[in-house]
Amino acid sequence: MNKQFTIAQKIGLMFRYDENVPQDMEGWIEQQLRAPSPALGIANTSAKVTQWPDELQPNLSKRAGMWRRYRALKKQQREGKNGQDTEAARQANRHENLMQEKDEHRFVQRNVYGADQVKLRLTSFWANHFTIGNTFDTGQLIGHAIDEGILAKLNGSFADMLYGMTTHPGMLTYLDNVWSAGERSVQAKHCRRKPDCQAGLNDNLGRELLELHTVSVAAGYSEDDIRAAAQVLAGWGIDFGEELSAMREKTGSNNHWNAYKKRWAEPGPKKVMGQTIYAGRSGLRQLTDFLASHDHTINYISTKLCHHFISDSPTKAHIESVKSVWHQSNGDLNTIHTQVLKLAINSPDAKFLWPMTWLFQVVRLSGATYFKGWENTHHYDDKLMHTKKVFEELGQSFWSLRQPDGYPNDKAEWMSAEMFERRVRFADAIYKNGRTRPSVNKIMDRIGAAEQTRALVASVGPSPKDQFITLMCSPELMGLEYV
Amino acid sequence: MSKLIPGRRNLLKAGAASLFLAGVPIAGLAKGKPPGSISVIILEGGMDGLATIPPIGDPDLMRMRKAISPEGYLPLNDFFGLHPSLKFYAQLMARGHASAVHATAFPYTKRSHFEGQNMIEGGGLSPFSEKTGWLGRALDLADVAGRSLSLDMPLILRGHHENDNFYPASIRGSSRPKADLVNMIAMGHKLDAAQIFTKVARKSEDNVQVPRDPASLATYAGRAMAQADGPVASVIRVDNFDTHANQVEEGDTDAGRLARQLVVVDDVIAGYRRGLGKAWDDAIILTLTEFGRTVAVNGTRGTDHGYGSVGLLAGGALSGSGVIADWPGLSKQDQFEKRDLMATIDYRSVCAACLEKALGIDHDVIASQVFLQPDLPRVFDHLFA
Repeated sequence: MNKQFTIAQKIGLMFRYDENVPQDMEGWIEQQLRAPSPALGIANTSAKVTQWPDELQPNLSKRAGMWRRYRALKKQQREGKNGQDTEAARQANRHENLMQEKDEHRFVQRNVYGADQVKLRLTSFWANHFTIGNTFDTGQLIGHAIDEGILAKLNGSFADMLYGMTTHPGMLTYLDNVWSAGERSVQAKHCRRKPDCQAGLNDNLGRELLELHTVSVAAGYSEDDIRAAAQVLAGWGIDFGEELSAMREKTGSNNHWNAYKKRWAEPGPKKVMGQTIYAGRSGLRQLTDFLASHDHTINYISTKLCHHFISDSPTKAHIESVKSVWHQSNGDLNTIHTQVLKLAINSPDAKFLWPMTWLFQVVRLSGATYFKGWENTHHYDDKLMHTKKVFEELGQSFWSLRQPDGYPNDKAEWMSAEMFERRVRFADAIYKNGRTRPSVNKIMDRIGAAEQTRALVASVGPSPKDQFITLMCSPELMGLEYV
Repeated sequence: MSKLIPGRRNLLKAGAASLFLAGVPIAGLAKGKPPGSISVIILEGGMDGLATIPPIGDPDLMRMRKAISPEGYLPLNDFFGLHPSLKFYAQLMARGHASAVHATAFPYTKRSHFEGQNMIEGGGLSPFSEKTGWLGRALDLADVAGRSLSLDMPLILRGHHENDNFYPASIRGSSRPKADLVNMIAMGHKLDAAQIFTKVARKSEDNVQVPRDPASLATYAGRAMAQADGPVASVIRVDNFDTHANQVEEGDTDAGRLARQLVVVDDVIAGYRRGLGKAWDDAIILTLTEFGRTVAVNGTRGTDHGYGSVGLLAGGALSGSGVIADWPGLSKQDQFEKRDLMATIDYRSVCAACLEKALGIDHDVIASQVFLQPDLPRVFDHLFA
């Protein structure tokens, strides 16, 4: 491939079939990192690309209101009241009040139509780093966390992103912190006197904050450190279905992203990995700032970034140079990202594409209309599958129920017949149902396809569909090496 | 005998499992089929052994765990009960076709899912020490099949040439790939990717229609393993055992997250039984989980990461039913690090015994070459004598 497309493949999502291709690629990267990120998409399959309407991007308090309404109607449905127990009412409730399918659809459309392709790749990296699995309650929140906790924070510091994601209601719910209480908290003491009252420490988020989000197991912390981190976190977050009046009573606030329940908090200072953390609401920021600048965090995440963008076996020099800019810039994400991306485009190593990245690139290169418009998120279409279903079948989705360590970066983890069969089948389905625009030859000319790729495509005969499948499943377009 | 509410099964999300098949003998290459088959159900998240097989005879159980111990347990003997979700498993127990090993674990005590899962699949001496898995290494030793070397998922099966995975696709508007086309694509790829595309081509030639719920996958696996040239091993993953919160439902200790996941396990075992047919007589099924959970309840009707758990075994190859345990007790001083169920049986020994029975490999060879632990104790006689 020519230089532009090699770079766009490795660190972006490819230039859309009708997009201008820049000449100065280093300048392009700089500009991409600061690109505006409106949620671009289409209202229906014959509409022009525009911004998603505001009413389909509700804020947290609207989401919470929808969630409460959803649950209330669900209760009526169970009790057979108000005509809620019909299939139509059930569906209407889901479509009106649940956000997950709309959010996933918006995420996908952004990735297909967005002009901020490098930021979108970085967003996926961080959304995976701060995994929030879909455990039903969190379905309402994952999309918000990705938009507001990751994408909107890409130009800030790692410490800000860490604090934002640790306190995001999606994370606090996914890793059970909303139900955790300090062992000596007012609530726990009160509960100990009552037989059916339960309040105690849940260390799930404390553990993953250390193991997955910051220092990693290499730091050699103890169970006591995990417990202490959990005690710092105790009191943070509130059940997303809680009535507003109850929430105000418990937290003194209407803001779900800053919900701190004093009564559930552990009194007194705590010690995490040798660092004293003070009691109270500000203790958590003190802890996440301490962890954000810890050497083990910098080493762990620098390595992970190199692994994701540069090579399956990044060199020590790669990792050291990312660590060094991290230290120098005090964890400024723009500086860190710039360094990682520069190293990535100067490294000759191929980087196998995640299934979702590959799919976005195929759709962008071919100009296919493979996803429905936002007016039709929930409507059946003969040809176009539900967006949610596409990613279930593909085997990768940020809206699936998965474990908090996220998707692996290593090629070896994705090399299997089932995963490869999906690529063949999706290339087939996209060609047949997506009204692809340029011919296979035009695509190959535009990207400057390698001779081996052209020979491979020619070898399968004259069928345009077979040629399309072959091109998209060639080593070059999958991010694999040639023989 | 059980308080299982009809309809609870309907609450299950389909597709909460994925299936991997391995060890397909290749004509002319295999030395002959091993004596049995082995199937592993990986329970991701850390299964609470104390709720699955509650030690009802231990006076500390109700003292420490009243809030989450299943009230409707089925008594197995004076000391152990069985979770009411495991209905089919209970019938197998009554017929001498199921056993459980209690207070057992891999020798991993640090309570991280990711290290723990790597350890139980890799089967090495420490997490991330092995690039291949214990089942893969054993199949390789048994010389069940083989042509190429590929790093195929999951880790537990890696290390064996012909391992393959199976999970039927359902993509609207796409047809089964044409084998000729996929073979051509394979020719453009480097060795490892080429081999995978070749597998895709080979698979596209058989026309199988299988629903993807865990029980149907298990039935499919059982049927495949029952064939003369079928696979010798299979692995199914069931997730969502990480029951930090709402392990039981408010006011009903027989319902909740754990109860739902145990129904999936029960359905998977029943699916295997259905699919295996006569091959059931030589089959062994065992569960594998990265760790057990804390003895104490954590305040959110759940339990946190722990150490010792339980292993469920089923299959006609077992010599009888029972709960095999060297019971450590539940009092504070009996707990591991004053919080978890102690493990008194090394679960690698249980895996080794199952391999010995199914693949006909000598224990000492398994100990040193599969688990890299030459002095691993042999527990074969407790299960298969």
